[in-house]
Amino acid sequence: MANSVNISVEAPIENQIQEITYDGQEIYQAPLSMSENLARLAQKIDFSKTEDEFCNIKKEGESSLDVKSEEDKEPGYQSSLWPWDSVRNKLRNALTEVCVLADVLSIAKEKRYMVLDPIQAEQIESRPMVQVYGRKKALSAAGAVLLNGVERLRASETMRMTRNMPDFHIDLLRLRQNWRLKKVSNTIVGDLSYRTAGSKFSQTGVFEVTKAPEEQIAQAMSMNATGPAPSALRVTVPPELQGVAFISVLCQKEQEDVVTATLSSSALNCPGTLPGEGAELHWQQKLEAAQNVLFCKELFARLAAEAVQLDASIPHMVVGNQIMATVLPGIQLLIGLCHNNGQNNNNPEGVKSEGSGNKSEHDHVLEHSLHQLLRAVHHSNTHHPFPHPASGPLGPSKRRSLAGPMAADRYELLEMSKEQSLLEQIIQQAQHFFMRRRSEYVLDTIAKEVKDPLIVSHWNALNSPTQSCVKINIMAYGYDAVCRTSLVVHVGEKTLKCICRDGKVRHLSYELQELRDLIYCQIYQHQMTAVQAVGRCMGWQLLASSSHLGSGPVEPLGNASSCLLASPNGDRMIAIRCEPSVGIQVFIAQSPRKDFFVSELVQDKKWENLGGAFKEVKLEKMEGKNFLNKMELLMACLSSPL
Amino acid sequence: MHRNLPQNKEALLKSYTTRLKEDVKSMLENFEEIIKLAKGENDSQLNRMTQIEQDTFEMQVRAANIVRAGESLMKLVSDIKQYLILNDFPSVNEAITQNSKLFRTKQQECDQKLMSLRDDIAADLYDLEDEYFTSIYK
Repeated sequence: MANSVNISVEAPIENQIQEITYDGQEIYQAPLSMSENLARLAQKIDFSKTEDEFCNIKKEGESSLDVKSEEDKEPGYQSSLWPWDSVRNKLRNALTEVCVLADVLSIAKEKRYMVLDPIQAEQIESRPMVQVYGRKKALSAAGAVLLNGVERLRASETMRMTRNMPDFHIDLLRLRQNWRLKKVSNTIVGDLSYRTAGSKFSQTGVFEVTKAPEEQIAQAMSMNATGPAPSALRVTVPPELQGVAFISVLCQKEQEDVVTATLSSSALNCPGTLPGEGAELHWQQKLEAAQNVLFCKELFARLAAEAVQLDASIPHMVVGNQIMATVLPGIQLLIGLCHNNGQNNNNPEGVKSEGSGNKSEHDHVLEHSLHQLLRAVHHSNTHHPFPHPASGPLGPSKRRSLAGPMAADRYELLEMSKEQSLLEQIIQQAQHFFMRRRSEYVLDTIAKEVKDPLIVSHWNALNSPTQSCVKINIMAYGYDAVCRTSLVVHVGEKTLKCICRDGKVRHLSYELQELRDLIYCQIYQHQMTAVQAVGRCMGWQLLASSSHLGSGPVEPLGNASSCLLASPNGDRMIAIRCEPSVGIQVFIAQSPRKDFFVSELVQDKKWENLGGAFKEVKLEKMEGKNFLNKMELLMACLSSPL
Repeated sequence: MHRNLPQNKEALLKSYTTRLKEDVKSMLENFEEIIKLAKGENDSQLNRMTQIEQDTFEMQVRAANIVRAGESLMKLVSDIKQYLILNDFPSVNEAITQNSKLFRTKQQECDQKLMSLRDDIAADLYDLEDEYFTSIYK
């Protein structure tokens, strides 16, 4: 312990160094007195902080407190104010607040101006349940809306499925396959006109396609469960095309005056309504009916225009919905447009009774021909003859396009431009119809009137609307192999052409009498030739014959004819004279005349062979089926030796 | 298959596509919104009850929107069908050729039948005429 070392122990510098002099001496600041220290710390107290926060800050650590103290120190030193100033201010504030509180309390106590109520503390606890219920309700409402929508979709689907409801789109597809349709904005519009088929009629045939309401379909289905399913489509046709229409064609004798004619013809029995008009028609039928109406209108408009343009010798008349044209003298063709659109239902009974009084009936054949003619026009409008020019308009006929290369002159071109109008064609057909009917009538009546030679007429099955042909055979029963006269009559529009057995061609007019006369002439000619043929068969000799006898009274038609036959041994003679107005007369003569008496002038006996006077045979009293048979018997009788 | 469609047809087809997309999108968005509302995360200034009522109504409207979008899709399907039916010219042409073929064969059949009928009738008529005109009774 002897060599111990002195260790100097210095107390740490507790006081802050205020100044270091040049000689290294440190001058310390005088330590703060207790009061000063308290004042400094008091300055640091933040009265705004609550107790908790204050503690928290303390826990955070000394360093932050130190930094804070440094910062706080500045105003402490800087402010030359009294160090307890902040404390005093805080205390004063606290006092003010306490005073206010005391005032409030005192006022509250009085219960005159202010009442203190307890605050409900439960609100916080009930909050989640209300929200849950609220959301549940909201979600279920939203779900109900969704389910509703789904249900509606499903219901419509199942109804269509289970009850076999027609599908709109399938019907639309079928409609599209048969008719022209297009969509214009929101509607589906169709066209039923014949434009695409070559029609140039101005009236449009637009119809509208809509969806039929489902209730109506259901109703219709319940009404007729067995019938065809109703369509889901509804077709709306413009009112001018609704209903039924047809072109009535009447041929009638000319009326006394025009007024009655129009009156009786205005009472054309209009067609009834379509079957099942009351119920909704199927669209196909409805459209077809409308198309027919349009077609009839076009046909009638065209015919009416032609009737006005044509300058016939007897002008055609167009009155209202009727065209009158003269076919043959005394015979009129009435073409009328009947359109019953179901709106102006004038009593059909009255119409019918008047219509039945009118003898002439609607001619279906001519109506059909009219339809055919217009369709042919449509066809020619779209089907142009080949070759089609690469440039230039389509349409001129083949003859017309050949006119250039063939150097046709003006006359030929004019001839080409002439076209037969529909009206002319139908008038021709009507004329032919009448000619045919009349010839039929004439032939039948002659066949009835004339029993002896049989008149057999055969109508040719091959004919055209304006030409037909009849073959007439004249023969006697039992002698058709011996002699037969046949002739052919071509029935045209206004004339008849008759080709006779001998090859002669005769043109007859539309007058019935001419044909009648011709046939009668042919009958008598036939009788004469037939007698000659029978005579030849019997070995008789034809001495003379003349078909145009000059003797006797003048005949109203034709000429008298005659022939003279001699028996094989020449002792008997038969003379036949045929006059169309009288009939056939037969005379016989005997060669060794029985009544020969020798007179003063003719004394020789040989003169008895000269033949005697002709005596008429009473044909009607003879036996025999017909004239030829009688003649055969007569010849046989006369040729037998007496 | 894209031919030179006219301008408006092209536009129409595009509009069909956009309608489809919009409707599907609307369905999805509305559904998402409903789910979001059901979560209830949004804090607002409103009173709680008012908020709940508003949510309820919003959900209902959104559900109705979904239904509307569904129906709109059905309408779209129907429109597309209609468009196809009205503008499917190949199939229409096919139908027309088929129809015309059918009618042509029918016409031929009818013609043949009529011809044979006419021949029969003509033959019979000849005999009948013969018989009638050679008989006593006329």
